[in-house]
Amino acid sequence: MSEFVFATAQYESGDWDSAPLVPANLIDSVARYTNLRVAPTGVIVSLSSDDLFRFPLLFLTGHLPVRFTDAERTNVKRYTDRGGMLFVDDHNHDIDGAFHKTAVEELTRSVGPLVQLPNTHALYSSFFRFPDGPPNTSHELNGWGDNLVHTHLLAATRGDRIAVLYSNKDYSSEWGYHPDNKRFLSVDNTRFGVNVIVYALTR
Amino acid sequence: MRPRDRVERTRRALAATIAVRALTWSAAAALGTATVMMLLARFSGLTGDAATWATALLVGAVVFGASAGAWRQLTVQRVALWIEERVPSLQYTLVTAVDPEIGDSPIAGQLEQRIDGVSWHAETRRAILRALARPATAAILAIGLLIGARRVELSAAPADGARVSATKASPRDVPAPFRRLRATVQPPAYAGGGEVTIESPASIAALVGSTVALQAPGSRDGISADAGGRQLAVEPTGDGWRVALTMAGRPAIVRLRHALGERLIALEPRPDSAPGVRLTQPARDTVLRAAQGVISLAADVRDDLGLVSGAFEYIVSSGEGESFRFRSGTLGARQFSSTPTRPRAAVLSGSLRLEALGLGPGDIVHVRAVARDANSVSGPGVGASETRVVRIARASEYDSVAVEGAPPPEGDQSLISQRMLIMLTEALERRRPRLSRETLVTESRAIGRDQTRLRKRVGDIIFARLGDEPTGEHAHGPDEEPNAAAAPTRPDSTRDSVRRAGARAGQRPSAAADSADSVRAALLRAADAATRGGDEILDFEGDETPVVAINRPLLEAYNAMWEASRELEQGEPARALPPMRRALDAIQRARQAERIYLRGKAPPVVVDLARVRLTGKETGGDATRSPRPAADPAASRRAERLTAAMTLAGRDPAAAVDSLVLLRVESLDAAPAFAAALGTAIDALRGGRDATALLARARRIAEGALRVGTGLGAWSGVW
Repeated sequence: MSEFVFATAQYESGDWDSAPLVPANLIDSVARYTNLRVAPTGVIVSLSSDDLFRFPLLFLTGHLPVRFTDAERTNVKRYTDRGGMLFVDDHNHDIDGAFHKTAVEELTRSVGPLVQLPNTHALYSSFFRFPDGPPNTSHELNGWGDNLVHTHLLAATRGDRIAVLYSNKDYSSEWGYHPDNKRFLSVDNTRFGVNVIVYALTR
Repeated sequence: MRPRDRVERTRRALAATIAVRALTWSAAAALGTATVMMLLARFSGLTGDAATWATALLVGAVVFGASAGAWRQLTVQRVALWIEERVPSLQYTLVTAVDPEIGDSPIAGQLEQRIDGVSWHAETRRAILRALARPATAAILAIGLLIGARRVELSAAPADGARVSATKASPRDVPAPFRRLRATVQPPAYAGGGEVTIESPASIAALVGSTVALQAPGSRDGISADAGGRQLAVEPTGDGWRVALTMAGRPAIVRLRHALGERLIALEPRPDSAPGVRLTQPARDTVLRAAQGVISLAADVRDDLGLVSGAFEYIVSSGEGESFRFRSGTLGARQFSSTPTRPRAAVLSGSLRLEALGLGPGDIVHVRAVARDANSVSGPGVGASETRVVRIARASEYDSVAVEGAPPPEGDQSLISQRMLIMLTEALERRRPRLSRETLVTESRAIGRDQTRLRKRVGDIIFARLGDEPTGEHAHGPDEEPNAAAAPTRPDSTRDSVRRAGARAGQRPSAAADSADSVRAALLRAADAATRGGDEILDFEGDETPVVAINRPLLEAYNAMWEASRELEQGEPARALPPMRRALDAIQRARQAERIYLRGKAPPVVVDLARVRLTGKETGGDATRSPRPAADPAASRRAERLTAAMTLAGRDPAAAVDSLVLLRVESLDAAPAFAAALGTAIDALRGGRDATALLARARRIAEGALRVGTGLGAWSGVW
């Protein structure tokens, strides 16, 4: 079995590299809590290249408007059709912002409509148990962004599998710290990231 | 107005009267209840403030509900009848007129004619006043009673919180002979406070030297008293007994004993602080070349009770090696008046005349300010400021010590903003009719000079962007610099750029370069062309950066400022305002322009998987582990005693409170924070409130703060 490589999606528009510490943090969590074989560093893969088909999970984030090129749009569709899972997180954590509007529009165009993922979905118990659905981020609880605590994630599915997981919760900020600093947290807030990865690798 | 409308108006007035009367009655009832409850609390201690006011509000609400009931009966027909009763001349025409069945029948007109001639305004007003008189009287009476009750209550509280404070004991915990115990505290004479009476005290905090007298009615038989192990005399008084003592310098417990029980009273001495003195002048030590001149002296002094005197003290030390002489003296001595009270803060001032001190090279003058308070018990308290040193340099030091006085700091050279300049110009324009032409021109030129300075600053930015020296603008007036002769020569590249820009602006190359003697003129023309709109000039040619496009708003502001300053120089503020506003708009656009911030690339993080999974090798860190330091034995004992008292609280709250009081008094010096936390918990226990959280807080303090090592060791992956 080959090792899991965390891939960050690079797209032409926007700031795709706004959360550079998230990959290392999630890799650390996967290594810490699971015995999955995992590569010590993540990779960056262009959405328009065929390289993305080598990775079962793609992480896409940013603050700025997302406008896929034709190649990116086509690749995202092919990627999700072929079993890949795209995890999109709005780094602005709002529902009226440019990223949210444009990303949802592009994803709807490429993959299909995003709908609320029930909080009883298998994603929330794929490794750790999150009985209340997606864990809240400190940014939500502090009232930043749209001053809402988003109770659900959005998803586009292929059959019973999540093809695109979309979050307004700003996990990019929540997880954007050096993994060594986890020691200062009473509860590791990246545990949900482990669920996402395990879900992507097991479905 | 139709009769029905007039009745309706009266009905509204009566409704308002009912509401006001109900409110007044309810207020009177509430205040009366509060008064009674307060007096009850005062003499029995059974109720607290919250219960008093809650009961009062409840009573007020009930009375309001009962009094407002008449509102429901206030129909138009009833009001008409009410008026008829008071104005018999209406002869029931009003009741008939407001009858709904009359409506628009022919008789209605006749009734209206009859009623129009009759007024019931005076009767209504009399009735309203009569209805409000009694509740208003009751409310005023209740307010008076409440104020009286509050005075009774206040007389039981310490009057001078700064010098005497106390906590009260809960009457439930007090043995019968001590239940009506009263303490009188007389602060020392120098403090100037009056006698304070405290009812049923549990602790007394007062100035050291205060006279404390504990007295209660009843027989003194069987009563004994001691304070800190020293027996106190129990003296008879007219109707009871009395124990007197003086507040010592250390905390103590007064134990009043009787066969029926014991009463503890904590004595918490409050020391009188020495005056605080801050020397404000001279601000720092100084080395002078010659002992000439006068040094100003100033100091701020303050004291918690009152100042008596203050002065500056100086010591002159002369000599060197093994031979020194000293002289000392005082300056600017000041006595503070004691009538009516001594001041708590004052300013001392004086001057030190160096010639008068006869100083020679190498002599040193030490100056400080000193203040004294009136403490006649343990004092007087003397406070002194830090000492400043003035030294006269020796000739041999001149080449090694900077003895020249430093020049004064440069004045504020910040520029007046464009917005402020506009405001100044607008103000000048408004005042224009009242000003002479000469004054107008003078003030206008002053604004113009500020405008010119601001323009030059904007020009600096533009020129700097062009890669030229920032101060390259030519001077055009006596207030502008550098002058033309001193202006640096511009690099050819800039000159060429400007020439090319001018050419793009539609000028002949010769006109852009040759006819303009200065680069500035060419630049301005290029900028003017660029800012006038259109896309024909967006950048310079060849290898130049698109400076004009980037600087467009600034160039526009620059041109507008130029125009504005010209008008201002001519004494035409009104004509200067439009270009000034254009300049402001342009600056705003420049401010809001998109900026690109370059940031560094974050270093890639490579996760050490073996370390995370605890499968690697521990390479060791430089931080060695050390055992925790031993706990402070005294702190441990305090914590143990607190735990014992908390355990006791479940069985015998009164005994627990006594234990806590003892612990508190013993901790006042060694652990003041712990003592303060205990005091809060004791108050809560005595007040019958839940003290769990307060006791837990006290225990946290007793157990000490978290111990923090000297530094964090290297992270080893272990949680």
